[in-house]
Amino acid sequence: MKELEKTKRLSIAAVISILVVLIGLLTFKRPKIVYNVNAATTIEKITNPDYLISLNNINNPDYILIDVRNKFEFDRGHLENAINIDASEILEDENLKIFNELKKDNKTVLLYGKNPNEAIPPYMLLYQLGFDNLKILTVENSYQQNKLVTKNIEIEKSVADINAFIQESIKKAEVQPKPQPKVVSTPKKIVPVKKKKKMPVEGGC
Amino acid sequence: MINRNLVKVLSFRYPIIAAIFLILAGGLVLLPKYEKQKGIAPQELLNKSTSPERYISTDQLADIIINQDPSYIFVDVRDEESFNKYTLPNAVNIPLKQLFDEDLVMYLNQDQFDVVLFSNDNFYADQAWILCNRLKYKNLHVLKGGLNEWYNTIINPPFPNENMPAQDFELFSARKAASMYFGVAYPEQAKKEVKAPIKTAPKKIVPVKKKKKMPVEGGC
Repeated sequence: MKELEKTKRLSIAAVISILVVLIGLLTFKRPKIVYNVNAATTIEKITNPDYLISLNNINNPDYILIDVRNKFEFDRGHLENAINIDASEILEDENLKIFNELKKDNKTVLLYGKNPNEAIPPYMLLYQLGFDNLKILTVENSYQQNKLVTKNIEIEKSVADINAFIQESIKKAEVQPKPQPKVVSTPKKIVPVKKKKKMPVEGGC
Repeated sequence: MINRNLVKVLSFRYPIIAAIFLILAGGLVLLPKYEKQKGIAPQELLNKSTSPERYISTDQLADIIINQDPSYIFVDVRDEESFNKYTLPNAVNIPLKQLFDEDLVMYLNQDQFDVVLFSNDNFYADQAWILCNRLKYKNLHVLKGGLNEWYNTIINPPFPNENMPAQDFELFSARKAASMYFGVAYPEQAKKEVKAPIKTAPKKIVPVKKKKKMPVEGGC
């Protein structure tokens, strides 16, 4: 009987440990939204300009336009058949559902905002979550007399050759291109030369 | 009787417990593969990347460069060709493709310096910023408008109209002074240089005292 009492303790401990493991497994929650693409793959994707599309090529039944500006801007004017999803709400359940459905239907999602820069955060986020059916529309939207004007623009286009501009300005100003090294003149010592007063010769042999 | 039965069952206790553990272990193998991806929570990353906090204006940047603030590193994320053409003074070139190269990542993944990312616009710089932030790199900023804005405001500042407030004139003169710092020359500056009186260091007159010659006394 003594042995039985000892083993009871042991089995109680074993049962408890098993319970702990089970409870742990059951209550383990996976985060809802997780990345599916690592940073290195994302870099490969964004350094290949395939994901950019210009306004001229959007007439395709498989393309769905998504406006990532806020609701106010969207109501003021938007592209035809565009869906409004604010960039900051892109990860909300219902919006992710929309993206999931579009992915299932093999549609390509074109994101656009006030300018391409505005479409980067939603694009990057969604791409890293595993949505590879996205493109950024390279357009700039502005208003003229309350009417939306959409213009194609080139991404990361340099407006001016800054070096050339600087050289030009120097030429115009007629300044030597190479600034002459300043010669620091050391203060000259002026040694006043006192004339010897001729002393009257005294004495002498 | 009851006790005897219990003892019988309990004599198998170790195999039973071992079997339960084995089943649990088997269950672990069957769990769906959960590939963990590095990075901060997507929601947090989205909040950060949609807020304009990361931006630094061209005027601020000019200030930093002119004051030679040693706590800043400037990172050019354009390709090498554009980098060689023109870049900010003392900038480091990390093309977007090589963002996570081992020798270059040390510029980004540290917490001693403030890093300013820039490109022609802020398109590439933003992308680099988002990727780095996902990996929790700290102290990163993006030059708002990139080098294009830099050109339009600092290198070639627009002259304010007469009816603009005095502030704009002050801003213009500050920017103009900054542009001179970055090598732009203005015609009136050249004239001034000619007119300006040549400053010469004031001559120090060091009187050298000569020994007074003693009157020659006596003679032989």
